[in-house]
Amino acid sequence: MSFHIVKRDNCPLWKKCALYVGAVVIALLLGSLLLLALGVNPVVYYSRMFTMGTVGNKIAYKVWINYLKSFVPLALTSVALSLAFKMRFWNIGGEGQFILGAIASAFVAFTVGPFLPEPLTLIVMCLAAMAVAGLYGLFVAALKVKFGTNETLMTLMLNYVALYVLIFLAEAKADWNFFLDPGSLRPVFASFADIVSFPSIPLGGQFSLNLCVIFTFLIGALVYVYLKYTKHGYEIAVVGDSAGTARYAGMKVNKIVLRTVFLSAALIGLAAAFKVGTAGILSTSITDDVGWTGIIVAWLSQLNTGVIFVVSALITMLHYGSTVAAATFSQVDSSFANMLQGVILFLVLAADFYTRFRVVIVKKGDK
Amino acid sequence: MKKILALLLAVVLVMGLTACGTEPDTDEFIVGAIYINSRNDTAGYTFAHHNGITKAMEELGLDVNTQLVIVDEVPEDKEQVLAAVDTLVGEGADIIFGISFGYIDAMEEAAKTYPDVIFSHATGYKSNTTNFNNYFGRAYQARYLAGIAAGLKSLEIGNNNVGYVAAYGTEYAETASGINGFAMGVLAVNPNATIYVKNLGAWADEVNEAAFANELIDSYNCGVISQHCDSAQPQIAAQNKGVFGCGYNSDMTPDAPKAHLTAAIWNWNVYYRTAMEAAMNCGEASKFVETMGSGAYYGGLKEGFVDVSPLSENCAPKTAEIIAAVKAMMVNGEWDVFSGVKLQISPDGTITKVDAALVDNNGNEIVPAGGASVEDSVITGTMNYFVAGVKEG
Repeated sequence: MSFHIVKRDNCPLWKKCALYVGAVVIALLLGSLLLLALGVNPVVYYSRMFTMGTVGNKIAYKVWINYLKSFVPLALTSVALSLAFKMRFWNIGGEGQFILGAIASAFVAFTVGPFLPEPLTLIVMCLAAMAVAGLYGLFVAALKVKFGTNETLMTLMLNYVALYVLIFLAEAKADWNFFLDPGSLRPVFASFADIVSFPSIPLGGQFSLNLCVIFTFLIGALVYVYLKYTKHGYEIAVVGDSAGTARYAGMKVNKIVLRTVFLSAALIGLAAAFKVGTAGILSTSITDDVGWTGIIVAWLSQLNTGVIFVVSALITMLHYGSTVAAATFSQVDSSFANMLQGVILFLVLAADFYTRFRVVIVKKGDK
Repeated sequence: MKKILALLLAVVLVMGLTACGTEPDTDEFIVGAIYINSRNDTAGYTFAHHNGITKAMEELGLDVNTQLVIVDEVPEDKEQVLAAVDTLVGEGADIIFGISFGYIDAMEEAAKTYPDVIFSHATGYKSNTTNFNNYFGRAYQARYLAGIAAGLKSLEIGNNNVGYVAAYGTEYAETASGINGFAMGVLAVNPNATIYVKNLGAWADEVNEAAFANELIDSYNCGVISQHCDSAQPQIAAQNKGVFGCGYNSDMTPDAPKAHLTAAIWNWNVYYRTAMEAAMNCGEASKFVETMGSGAYYGGLKEGFVDVSPLSENCAPKTAEIIAAVKAMMVNGEWDVFSGVKLQISPDGTITKVDAALVDNNGNEIVPAGGASVEDSVITGTMNYFVAGVKEG
């Protein structure tokens, strides 16, 4: 007996959904085996994880506020990455672009923040972050179109350059370094929350909705329209399918690559401005790994803008929920969330395989 | 019927009330903790604190499985620390311990946001008068005792070079005070000794911890190796080269039985127990700092917060006797390390007090002869010098 792998022509939507949901369920079952080995009841753990501890919580509104704080940078970064990925430009530099965007917006907050009206400062912060992050991406794109360098390696390694610039700022105690708190003997980042921060709209009770959340959904809708209904979007799709075809059709491929990568990196910078403008302070872990997690989200969503928002919401829930669930079980640490996320990714990618291929068992004698 | 029901209800209510009244608050007391690394660590800083918290809870009859809530792997990021605080408060925490220095501003802000919850921050220097304090220990006292053991050993083997593998040097008062305390212990016994310090530039770096220890032994001809770093690598290196050493944080005799003398250790449970008792007894969170007596807890040998691990057989004769005598002087408060009074200790066990200025290794006078101890410079962060006798390698 042997088996053949046969291409599936059209996998119906319900079958796709069933495969993906099945993958997640299997991942959760694998996770529950580990939880059982640790002596933890998986049902209790997962129910706390999915409700993120909001049940019976006096300050449940805080959970939602914190949840959205993690959701916004992840969703926006994933959308931004999908732009470049659509063109088969492997932007692995989300972390670095995010960090430079964060530094740029903090720079603006500290330098011109005290003199400008708050809304204007916020706009300048966003623009500065977009420009700096965008140029960081554009630099790699320019090298690629000019010299044919490998963008995966370039963006990856530039992440560390950006990270060490940030760490340098975090540790260099000097008069010129206004990023640090002058009142502390040890180097600690200074807060600019008193100078400028994104406003929130009170929505009844103690919950208030940060303006960045609305902007993020708006940008998501714009990117969807951009990719689906504009000439630029069409060009990105064609370049992604085949650069040769695009060239033959008279498209200026280099220009398209440069433009799109700049836009992708600039949106990541904007995500950083949202994060820093809400937190009011820098930190060496300011990215919260969105540059990496965003790759996973974009991939799991198959670069579909709408799906990216759903997957971002779920991954954030997984992360935030795991922390809350782990809080009350002394045996389970926060690493469990990362592991579960890895298992889910593997299984969903495997399920993805089955949406496009099927396995046919061939009996002896058959052809 | 109604009357009976009413009566029953009344009885139940009264019973309920008495049950509440007689019930000790310990059953409902929730301890929260924010860790920099994983709670499942088996060595290192987070491990030492987690051990201290669970031990203190067991001593007080608190259930670690139901009354301890933890958020771990929290980086020194204000937003993430505040989110961790929200999670712990949401789980009903009455007191929240944050163990890493960089949590300082978040802890201060959280204490304002949640006045009904107690916040307690390790290694920091901020506090308020109600529900926020900081805690640290006089590790330099234990270092001094370990220095005595090292000094006696250096005399016995006839080698005046002593090595010290340090996470950081004068950048942090924590490391500088450890190096200074140890050096002064060595010099009290062996005034001709030199303490060579190698700076790792990282709190934990196992590869360089071993490499630097080997360099101190090979290039600086050191006969005793002390350390301020996470692993036992310097002690293992000392054993491999046939020299001796003093560990840190935990008893490292099992790691290097032929080399290790004694280690300066922390008993974090001593503070955690004190803090939890104060939190349970103070009635409301705003009385916590008042109950503790001060916004900064700074325990030492006297409280048993720091100590030296049991002396190994490698120690020179009379070490135990001398250490016990010097420890007693610090416990009863008659003398302290960073003062203008020095101890001169001879190997036969006689201890003499001499007025002598505390001088840094650039010749600047820190404390005049006979002056008071500058022990507070350890927690205020102003001890940013090495004492005379210390050389940077």
